[in-house]
Amino acid sequence: MRRSRELARRVVARSAAKVSLAWLATLIVLAILAPVLPIDPLAQDLTAELEGPSAAHWFGTDELGRDIMARVIYGARTSLMTAAGAVAIAGAVGVPIGLMAGFFGGWRDAVLMRLIDVLLALPGILLAMAIIAVVGRSQAAALLAVGITGIPSFARITRAQVLSLRKRDFVVAVEALGGSAAYTMFRTVLPNSWSPILVQVVVLSSVAILLEAALAFLGIGIPPPTPSWGEMLRTGKTYLYEAPTYAVLPGLVLTLTILSLDMLGRVMASVLEDRHEIQEPAALQGGRP
Amino acid sequence: MIGYILRRLAQLLPVLLLASVGIWAMVYAIPGGPVGMILGENATPEQIAALRAELGLDRPVIVQYWAWLTNALAGDLGVSLHSRQPVVSLIGERLPATIQLGLAATVVGLLIGIPVAVASALMPGSWLDRALSGWSALALGVPTFWLGILLILLFAVHLRWLPSASGYVPFWESPIEMLRNILLPALTLGIYVSGIFARFLRASLVAELRADYVRTARSKGLPERDVVGRHVMRNAMLPFVTIVGLMMANFIGGTVVTEAVFTYPGLGRLLITAISTRDYPLIQGCILVILVIYILINVMVDVLYAYIDPRIEYA
Amino acid sequence: MSARMAEPVLSVRALEVAFMASGRPVPAVRGIDLDVHANEVLGIVGESGSGKSVTSLAISGLLPPTARVRGSIRLGGVEITEADHETLRRMRGVDVGMVFQDPTTTLNPVFTIGRQLTEGQIAHGRLRADAARARAIELLREVDIPDPAGRVIQYPHQFSGGMRQRAVIAMAMAGHPRLIIADEPTTALDVTVQAQVLSLLARRQAETGAAVILITHDLGVIAEMAHRVAVMYGGRIVESGPVEQIFARPRHPYTVALLRSLPRLDGGAARLEPIPGQPPAPSNLPPGCAFHPRCAVARDRARCRTEEPGLRACGPAHLSACHFVEEVPAPSLPRESDGAQPARPAVRRDSEPLLTVENLQVHFPIKAGILRRRIGWLRAVDGVSLTVHEGETVGLVGESGCGKTTTGRAVMGLVRVTGGRIRFGGRDITALGRGAMRQVRRHMQYVFQDPFASLNPIKSAGEIVAEPLRIHGLYDEMGGAGRIARLFEMVGLSPGMMGRFPHEFSGGQKQRIGIARALALEPRLLILDEPVASLDVSIQAQIINLLQDLQRELRLAYLFIAHDLSVVRHISDRVAVMYLGRIVEESEKQALYATPVHPYTQSLLSAVPVPDPTVRGVRRRIVLEGEIPNPASPPPGCAFHPRCFRASARCSAEAPAFLPYPGLPTRAACHHAGPLIPAPGAKHPQEVA
Repeated sequence: MRRSRELARRVVARSAAKVSLAWLATLIVLAILAPVLPIDPLAQDLTAELEGPSAAHWFGTDELGRDIMARVIYGARTSLMTAAGAVAIAGAVGVPIGLMAGFFGGWRDAVLMRLIDVLLALPGILLAMAIIAVVGRSQAAALLAVGITGIPSFARITRAQVLSLRKRDFVVAVEALGGSAAYTMFRTVLPNSWSPILVQVVVLSSVAILLEAALAFLGIGIPPPTPSWGEMLRTGKTYLYEAPTYAVLPGLVLTLTILSLDMLGRVMASVLEDRHEIQEPAALQGGRP
Repeated sequence: MIGYILRRLAQLLPVLLLASVGIWAMVYAIPGGPVGMILGENATPEQIAALRAELGLDRPVIVQYWAWLTNALAGDLGVSLHSRQPVVSLIGERLPATIQLGLAATVVGLLIGIPVAVASALMPGSWLDRALSGWSALALGVPTFWLGILLILLFAVHLRWLPSASGYVPFWESPIEMLRNILLPALTLGIYVSGIFARFLRASLVAELRADYVRTARSKGLPERDVVGRHVMRNAMLPFVTIVGLMMANFIGGTVVTEAVFTYPGLGRLLITAISTRDYPLIQGCILVILVIYILINVMVDVLYAYIDPRIEYA
Repeated sequence: MSARMAEPVLSVRALEVAFMASGRPVPAVRGIDLDVHANEVLGIVGESGSGKSVTSLAISGLLPPTARVRGSIRLGGVEITEADHETLRRMRGVDVGMVFQDPTTTLNPVFTIGRQLTEGQIAHGRLRADAARARAIELLREVDIPDPAGRVIQYPHQFSGGMRQRAVIAMAMAGHPRLIIADEPTTALDVTVQAQVLSLLARRQAETGAAVILITHDLGVIAEMAHRVAVMYGGRIVESGPVEQIFARPRHPYTVALLRSLPRLDGGAARLEPIPGQPPAPSNLPPGCAFHPRCAVARDRARCRTEEPGLRACGPAHLSACHFVEEVPAPSLPRESDGAQPARPAVRRDSEPLLTVENLQVHFPIKAGILRRRIGWLRAVDGVSLTVHEGETVGLVGESGCGKTTTGRAVMGLVRVTGGRIRFGGRDITALGRGAMRQVRRHMQYVFQDPFASLNPIKSAGEIVAEPLRIHGLYDEMGGAGRIARLFEMVGLSPGMMGRFPHEFSGGQKQRIGIARALALEPRLLILDEPVASLDVSIQAQIINLLQDLQRELRLAYLFIAHDLSVVRHISDRVAVMYLGRIVEESEKQALYATPVHPYTQSLLSAVPVPDPTVRGVRRRIVLEGEIPNPASPPPGCAFHPRCFRASARCSAEAPAFLPYPGLPTRAACHHAGPLIPAPGAKHPQEVA
């Protein structure tokens, strides 16, 4: 696994990736440590409602006098856990679908991809909303909705990668050597598909965090009192005149998180692309098929 | 040409049918089914039996679906449980607002996205390219609901130039009022899609600029403005048309978050209200209409692409 | 040559081009001088990384902005290195025209051919827009495109490869430029189409009197077309002179070695003499003479290692950049039977063949429409019969799309067979199940054309070679790591390289890994699919020699699939020629190359450019008309009849049977099979040179 370490090294070498990783690491550490930190997202102080930032409350307080920063840190737990769960669902369903469809082709491909098309027949957020409309509003519903919405992109990315690998000579070579379908699929095709799937994990984490926040903002995400960034923006929006920082600061944290993940995904993709450029033989001359 | 359009439509028929089954089955998946949906949880068995017979729930499932589908195709999407108004007319009131917002956002997106893409593609790697790529990343990464809030804070709360809540004013009634109302939501959505447009168009421009035919065009002595403006642009624009079309399709219903930020009376807010009040006929109707329009726009985009790309023959 | 007296059209002095790569300049061209006169074709020959293409881009001012250019390029009195963009633009299409390598990508897919032919002249103000259509038709007619009026409004994808390249030539000539630069103009084309395009280029050059720079890696094309030759290596011209002298008495060790390493249509069966090592990358040039690490003359002398030799006169108009010109040996060609080839056990044909293919058919469905309905069949292979005996090499040769690769893959069980039978080792393997086929594959292995694409990029070389053993569960049984090391040695690689990954190897080394992998299970038959086609000329000989050595040591049988008739001639015992899914002629090598009886074989052989300028104009050439038809709708009767110079009414009605030809060890599928009429005064125009 020298190669994956080499790739990781080259991703981290880019300064954009360094900044992104630093922000994400901070967020993850805070989210994990939240229960042992001296903060309480639910403690109300009705004497200090809708205050601006101060030494006692760095991000100010909300309409019930709760500390917004504490709620943002606990909101990070919600966001990150929903994203991780949703990406896991999407990957666990989408990757095998894409692998099967791309590897076997034919009717299996047609059937699986038509199913994926049905999921894609609505813009992502509407699909998530439709799922919540059926299941009802709950933490599990939000997780499921975001997860299912992510299935098509995993399936399509995996299928595209498998299809392009299927035609490559080194995969044909394994068949020529007498490798079984299972060997070809799991020992040759899949190990060569991880890079784009990994990029997709990062990209989809960002989409999942955004989608979860959007659902909460619309009032159909994870129900209160669980702290959630989207819910804070939703409530903060009603107090724009009284406490403008209420909506702005949680939104800033959300935005930085999304931007970091996007940046990381793009750096990973470009590093992978560079590697291919280096590997391609110089095509100044040569034979033809 | 017409044959090609029909074939594309036929190709999407299975998807449409499957999706319609999903939409129809929604109410059967909720606790209590369609009866519980109407009567609530405290109904007597007699009431339930009476309603079941009235709704035809004792018929075979296929028959029920067929009845629903034929009604829907005839334009009857049922009656809203709350307002008791026909779902079709409720949707009909909101659809123009959503379409107007989607078009305005697309215009904003193109006005920002195309110049950004062209400028950065012509100087790849330059500081300008990097700055403009940074802009695209921001446009894509900043959540629309936060951007919308910032715009309201600036233009409505702070400067007091524009209303913080946007109503729907048809363009032909009062262009100026319409602009005042739609400017902030259109800007919010438009900035977001400008990121998509810019990033996509830049990538295809850069790829096309490396193509061999560009070298051929230069070797003929064509002026650079013709090489880029005609040869490269024409090729890069082909896939770009698809992206623009897909984004427009996405705006049917996909504007739901922006509509919520600006309390804009579009289809998305209708759907949100329907979900919050568990108004299932309205939910079904909204999703079905959005789905059909979304798929129709997709077909139109395909057809347009086939029309402008000489390599695709629709024979 | 009176042209030599006049002012040259192009004059290049001390040209240097460098590209910036990771912060430091990488020299691609390192000081070259060139003159090209009107009515003259200058051939520039070299392998990848020699700087030949960069030179052509520098002359046309089309280098990317990252390039650093020094020296002087004077074209028609203008100094190109100092000219501004506008001056350069005005010169392009007027003073210089360019023909590029790949006609599938050099034309803009979304504009009509007619528009692309004339837009340059319109931009220069030399053609009125309303006259463009007529001019475009005229240009297409000049390059022999049938129905020019109908073709002018078509798009590039509606043109075949050869027609596209004709259109590109018409485009380059549209402004009557004084200089035409053709960069590998026929490398992407099939040999019969190459012959058409080369003769068109030569004809148009003679008609217009333009100066031409022809850049290629193919010494045969050079010998056929060029008046003068410049040989490039490591970014410099190492030798230049009149074409006859370059081929008859080359004075640089690299040119000599290149000619010796080449399998030739007119050569003997003697063992090839490969150039050791590989061409240097511009970023990693050896000090001193760039060729010295591979040079047979240098013998590691200090002067070669430290001092870069300049071009010195070594004959009339003949220059060589070698410190020891006088030691350069003559190429001693052709070598009919040097006996340098080690003896190999005779092939026994009396026993049952190792591989028998009978009437093999592979048809692919053509699907279209919503339901992916089948609308027809692509007859990729349509009745192929051949045999391969133990220890024998059978060459399967044909142009692209003739079905030779599909035949190989069908034998290997990689594509579904539609009809016919395949017997291997005395057993019918046509419809074997996966498990049974697995056992067969132990004894039959495949080597791919592209050594880069055929190796799993995430496995080390050792793992790749061990993979077949692991798949068959024989890793320990067959000797484990020791076996892998022996396989590495067998193909000439150091076992110390086992831990490296594919991208760390050169093209030739990758192909060696592919061969080692194929040998791991001790097979009896190797199917070699264009194994040297993607390698540099000097590396090809290394691999060919390796294959011959392995065959002798391991008594391997080869089915050698290739488009290059010279390579096939060199390595094969018997040769089968394919056209449109069928074998049209099959024979012993000597008989097939000396006395071909099928008109297609005859034209194919005559179309191959031979690296010998003395036969130019003497050798008879049959230039076929048209191009290979679509295998989805082959012509009725004999599939070759629309292009055949002997076709009769019978040929379009009745498909010929594949029958023995009396007096020769040959079978052919032709109603009018027979040797070419020896007298050059044949009446039929297409049978004349």
